Amino acid sequence: MLKVRDLVAAYGPIVALRGVSLEVPEGRIVAVLGANGAGKSTTLRAITGLLRAKSGTVELEGRRIDHLSVEEIVSLGMSHIPEGRQLFSELTVLENLRLGAYSRSSGADGGRHLAQHEDLSLLGRFQHHLFHAATGGIRDLARGISQYRQRRQDFETALGRVFDYFPILSERKSQVAGTLSGGEQQMLAIGRGLMANPRLLLLDEPSMGLAPLVTREIFEIIQAINQSQGVTILVVEQNANLALEIAHYGYVLETGRIALADTSDNLRKSEAVQRSYLGQ
Amino acid sequence: MEEFWQQVVTGIATGSVYGLLALAVVLIYRSTGVLNFAQGEMAMLTTFVAWSVLQWGEYWVMFPLVLIIAAGMGAFIERVIIRPVEGASVLNIVIVTLGLFAILNNVATWRWGGIPKGFPAPPEVEVTGIRFMGEGALDIGPTVVSYHDLTILIFAVGIMLALYLFFQFTPLGLAMRATAQNPVASRLMGIRVGRMLTMGWALSAAVGAVAGLLIAPLILLQPPMMIGVLLFAFAAAVLGGLDSPVGAVVGGLIIGITENLVGTYTPAEWLGPDMKLTVTLLIIVVVLLIRPTGIFGRRTMRRV
Repeated sequence: MLKVRDLVAAYGPIVALRGVSLEVPEGRIVAVLGANGAGKSTTLRAITGLLRAKSGTVELEGRRIDHLSVEEIVSLGMSHIPEGRQLFSELTVLENLRLGAYSRSSGADGGRHLAQHEDLSLLGRFQHHLFHAATGGIRDLARGISQYRQRRQDFETALGRVFDYFPILSERKSQVAGTLSGGEQQMLAIGRGLMANPRLLLLDEPSMGLAPLVTREIFEIIQAINQSQGVTILVVEQNANLALEIAHYGYVLETGRIALADTSDNLRKSEAVQRSYLGQ
Repeated sequence: MEEFWQQVVTGIATGSVYGLLALAVVLIYRSTGVLNFAQGEMAMLTTFVAWSVLQWGEYWVMFPLVLIIAAGMGAFIERVIIRPVEGASVLNIVIVTLGLFAILNNVATWRWGGIPKGFPAPPEVEVTGIRFMGEGALDIGPTVVSYHDLTILIFAVGIMLALYLFFQFTPLGLAMRATAQNPVASRLMGIRVGRMLTMGWALSAAVGAVAGLLIAPLILLQPPMMIGVLLFAFAAAVLGGLDSPVGAVVGGLIIGITENLVGTYTPAEWLGPDMKLTVTLLIIVVVLLIRPTGIFGRRTMRRV
């Protein structure tokens, strides 16, 4: 589903990724392990376009996405739950969830038609834009009205599903997100990501700052999301033990390079991994 | 007592105008962190445009037209002038808005001249026999209110209510609030952050334009007309807390009322009308000493 090849990325003069390649097969959970500063978050940021890669390619379902903007990539069915959760802390839980569904509302649909016409020449693209600018407004309006009920229903369905995974969020619906506990905030971040009905979920350090019990609970839910909905998941994690428990495949990242790649069973047995990451 | 209420009502009316302009300032500040020193001049310029439109058109045709022009101007300024310096230090952006201040002021003087012009108040409107707006005054028991003050109030309340409904209950309003809070997360939600900022400027310019249209009949239309108003609007925004729309409006009302009462009731020997600006600003300094974030301002919390 996701293919990353030779990704090179840098923050100014500091090179963070030195040619990362990885693959996430449809319906699977893939874990990226590594120490602090190995480039785990950077990999995710480069995939979603938050950080422009210097070179290398990213393919989503066979289509190159590395030149698209974040907004366009997100509207293609990829949800990125960033490091540190990045909630809208002054908005309520429900408002956060609403925003999670934003990319499915009419406003963000632009990315879909754009992405389908990426092969056009410059002039072709210009004409294409002109055409959409001229017809888009009226068409969007008409479609918006006709699809209003449908969209509302989709929203309610997605909301119901999120509340099934995280019942606590339903109790805290009108509470301001910043006042939630750490675990609840992580749940909200995941829930917000799920509201977009993604086919691919990128998770950045879901265990960060959480108590071991809460972390375990969250990982179980991540597994459930994968199993019951078939959502493909790429999870970046320092807690190698937990991550390998739920993942099918794992990559070990060391200073911007993939050091090891294997099924998670094999990785767990591997001596190198045990010594450096599993603390055994 | 009648004089007292008279002054309070007038204070509420001028305070509403300060509040509206302060609201325009806050709309931009909280979404971009830019303190727009050109806010007053933008309003002044659109009021001049309104004056030109009035040479051949009706007031109620001009009104929506000017709002659209103002919004377009706001969007244009954001795209062409502010966008390139986005991400630069705050000081750079402040200098840019100060430059914009000078440019707009000169454009107005060059195009319309420096001689003060009269500007009409909104004409009479009658709804089911009850008269709104227009000339004259209305007797409301304890005091008399001029119809124009009443108009200002109606517009101010209407705009605030509309903005509240927009931000609280529409997806676009929610997206704009989200952008103001966390641009990175907003992009991850698929929100086009740049577009939201442009819309914020457009909205702000339109709100400012209403402030200009409402204050012009009271202070005459001329290029420097908004400088004093902007000073009070900034004061109102700071007093209410720079990131709070409600604060901007409340701050505007407090300043409007204080200004009027100080001007009327302090003895001329030691304060009097000439000192009303000083006293008003003094009160603000005192409030800010007690509450540095303003009355409704949130203490910004930073995680390290």
